[in-house]
Amino acid sequence: MNPEHAPLIEMKNIEKHFGSVIALAGVSVEIYPGECHCLLGDNGAGKSTFIKTMSGVHRPTSGEILFEGRPMRFDDPRDAIEAGIATVYQDLAMIPLMSVSRNFFMGNEPLKKVGPLKFFDHALAAEVTMSEMRKMGINLRGPDQAVGTLSGGERQTVAIARAVHFGAKVLILDEPTSALGVRQTANVLATIDKVRKQGIAVVFITHNVRHALAVGDRFTVLNRGKTLGTAQRGQITPDELQDLMAGGQELVALEDSLGGTV
Amino acid sequence: MKRKLTSLLMGAALAVVPVVSATLASAEGEKYVLVSHAPDSDSWWNTIKNGIALAGEQMGVEVEYRNPPTGDLADMARIIEQAAAAGPNGIITTLADFDVLQGPIKAAVDSGIDVIIMNTGTPEQAREVGALMYVGQPEYDAGLAAGMRAKDDGVTSFLCVNHAIQQPTVGERCRGFADGLGVDLGDSMLDSGTDPAEIKNKVLAYLSANPETDGILTLGPVSADPTIAALEENGMAGDLYFGTFDLGDEIVKGIKAGVIQWGIDQQPFLQAYLPVVILTNYHRYGVLPGNNINSGPGFVTADGLEMVEKFAGEYR
Amino acid sequence: MSETPTVAVTDDERVKEMSAFRKALIRPELGGICGTIIVFTLFLLFAHDSGMFNSQGIMNWSVVSAQFMIIAVGACLLMIAGEFDLSVGSMIGFAGMMIAIFSVTLGWPVWMAILVTFALCIAIGALNGYIVVRTGLPSFIVTLALLFILRGFTIYLPQTIERKTIIGGVADAAQGDWLAALFGGKVLTGLFSWLGEAGLIETFERGTRAGQPVVDGIPMLIVWALGLVVFGHVLLTRTRFGNWIYASGGDAQAARYVGVPVNRVKILMFMFTAFCATVFATCQVMEFGSAGADRGLLKEFEAIIAVVIGGALLTGGYGSVIGAALGALIFGVVQQGLFFAGVESSLFRVFLGIILLFAVVLNTYIRRMITGER
Repeated sequence: MNPEHAPLIEMKNIEKHFGSVIALAGVSVEIYPGECHCLLGDNGAGKSTFIKTMSGVHRPTSGEILFEGRPMRFDDPRDAIEAGIATVYQDLAMIPLMSVSRNFFMGNEPLKKVGPLKFFDHALAAEVTMSEMRKMGINLRGPDQAVGTLSGGERQTVAIARAVHFGAKVLILDEPTSALGVRQTANVLATIDKVRKQGIAVVFITHNVRHALAVGDRFTVLNRGKTLGTAQRGQITPDELQDLMAGGQELVALEDSLGGTV
Repeated sequence: MKRKLTSLLMGAALAVVPVVSATLASAEGEKYVLVSHAPDSDSWWNTIKNGIALAGEQMGVEVEYRNPPTGDLADMARIIEQAAAAGPNGIITTLADFDVLQGPIKAAVDSGIDVIIMNTGTPEQAREVGALMYVGQPEYDAGLAAGMRAKDDGVTSFLCVNHAIQQPTVGERCRGFADGLGVDLGDSMLDSGTDPAEIKNKVLAYLSANPETDGILTLGPVSADPTIAALEENGMAGDLYFGTFDLGDEIVKGIKAGVIQWGIDQQPFLQAYLPVVILTNYHRYGVLPGNNINSGPGFVTADGLEMVEKFAGEYR
Repeated sequence: MSETPTVAVTDDERVKEMSAFRKALIRPELGGICGTIIVFTLFLLFAHDSGMFNSQGIMNWSVVSAQFMIIAVGACLLMIAGEFDLSVGSMIGFAGMMIAIFSVTLGWPVWMAILVTFALCIAIGALNGYIVVRTGLPSFIVTLALLFILRGFTIYLPQTIERKTIIGGVADAAQGDWLAALFGGKVLTGLFSWLGEAGLIETFERGTRAGQPVVDGIPMLIVWALGLVVFGHVLLTRTRFGNWIYASGGDAQAARYVGVPVNRVKILMFMFTAFCATVFATCQVMEFGSAGADRGLLKEFEAIIAVVIGGALLTGGYGSVIGAALGALIFGVVQQGLFFAGVESSLFRVFLGIILLFAVVLNTYIRRMITGER
């Protein structure tokens, strides 16, 4: 944590109502550059609503969002992306039928001028894709390999690399590890670590305490639409965190009996 | 995977082979192609198919029947071009739309193929495209004759059930009928579509909306059969003056039962049979009749139905 | 996404082992290329002496295939963008009828009739697209409605105005019109008359055109078809917009999240499909000189069939314009070739069914291989 830095995003007392349902009842969070901020909570705690508010999909019912110190109003996700807030959704990150390089540049295609016409610069796209993938530790057969042939973890990694390449200042990851196996999870967590070290703020949404503790700098626990507080790394034990999230000592006991694989 | 794909390819190839080779084992002799404008769904053309088949058998020549599956006349033009490219001795075709078909037919004539126009078209148009002759029933004249007959029988207003609205020549029948009656065609032509249930309901709706209608003209079995059903349902069968073009099983029954006053038989069998016979004799012995042949109209009434009944839908 | 670690590992190994043969297989055009080779081999074997491969015969199936290609290019791009247009056939009838009404009934110059018709039809295409993206209804049902509406007008308008369902005389009106020649004319006529004089192609034996070649030029229809195929292929594979087409059909939501204007892409593709249908109709009207209410019946399905034979997935996001063009070629050659081979015409549908089934099975297999699903 670097106190000289001003927070990138300040969310103050955010409320979001859907009709009579109160999804968020006053949530306050600050996100700093270069930190991995873990947002924990059980299913239904309001995590999804919260990140959608942060990424411009939802507008808060009340409360204030400051982005780089200025009040932020996004009309659609495109505005948020341009401002530097990128979101990687769990299952909507990539289009399986398209090649890795087409996916990588989807929405930001490099252009090459031929006379008055502009064409997709496949050569540049292929080169950039291959080098970015190599940086992330994925060896592709070729840039035209379909994303469908990649594993779930690799897809998440490609999506993260894409967001970083296109200048994201804040990277929101929606449950990137929830459907992955051990090895792929490790790869994704390593990717998060690399990204954080480049000075990008990572908002890591998860309900897995072990994954959060592996890379997190700070931890905010959401429960029933409210924050139960933010803790620094080293100030909280896994058991306490787990307890906060679910209020369930029995889960911890179960975890122990299973040998720590939950 | 490779083996699976190969077996699929083999399967497709094998499926094609027997059919193609079977059809190549055909008789020696002259080859004639009949091209119609009728969609696959029009059962009336069965008589035509039987007609050319019989003529082909009797004359010892090879005959083929071709039609655009959906009745699209632009597709028909392509079929005529195709038939010409295949180089038969003669082409027998309808002239359902002069604008569309004149080009391909003229090209066929110019490339040395003898053409006879049958069924639809007029003798003048047949001459213009360079055909040898026209065999058929001039539509407007047939409608006019029917209209005058109906007028003599006391009909004052009528409904024309048109199941082939896209073919102008068929519509000519209605126009001729209206002129024969001496009334304006106006809105009495009903675009019925070809679905029997739809035709029936449209006729029922028209008759209840226009109760003063005292005559009905249908343009073929496609519209006549459901119209009979409609009249039986609303109790007007035998009460309305009902005439139809062409014959079929149900129409013959209707004439017998007194529901239909008359059917106009254009004798399609002759339209198919005669051109094949004429072309064969022309090619073998150089003989050709000196005029067009009118295969109809012949009015079929309750008298003398026996032969019609026996061969309805087959040769009549 | 829910595979266990062990499956993921074997997946990786499978990918690396992929043979060159399998790599070639996942090209969408592959089915079309195989089909084209098979179809031509069969017809060369069974119909080589039937006139199918003389100049007139080649022109016959080329023109029919070119017709399919024109509408297949539009249908292909739209299908890759994840939508269908069932109103293509009705649009063909409607566009032709509009040109005839404007030029013959209202007496406008033909070029103006053509331009206004294009504007009108593309606007209807945009309406199709707008309704689909606005309501979120399946395009299948929205365009089905347009299928009936347009066909209804195509019958009603000429009947009300001219009391008939075929309007002729467009050829006379189009005499000497600069824009009409772009659709109904022929190119390379000099080359063909030279070929005829040199005795390399068949000439007419009699009549007013005796001595002239039976095939006297390449119809503009074929030029349009090839032009549209090239345009569609370049657009899809070489431009930014092409990437958006794939993305919109592959996963519209994922594409929106990265800022692809999915709605705009889809509406533009509906407009392009309408444009292709209007090109088809204009070429037809200029060639035959008349517009009929029955033109274009069932052409929407023929377009979709050609696209599917060409390797596009019905679910969108995958396909190729070259493949669709080959699908159209197969379709046209089979349809006309069966006549040449002397096969009973009602069996055409049987063949069509076999080819379609074969193509769809192959496509499903290809998609499984790409996405790695089992």
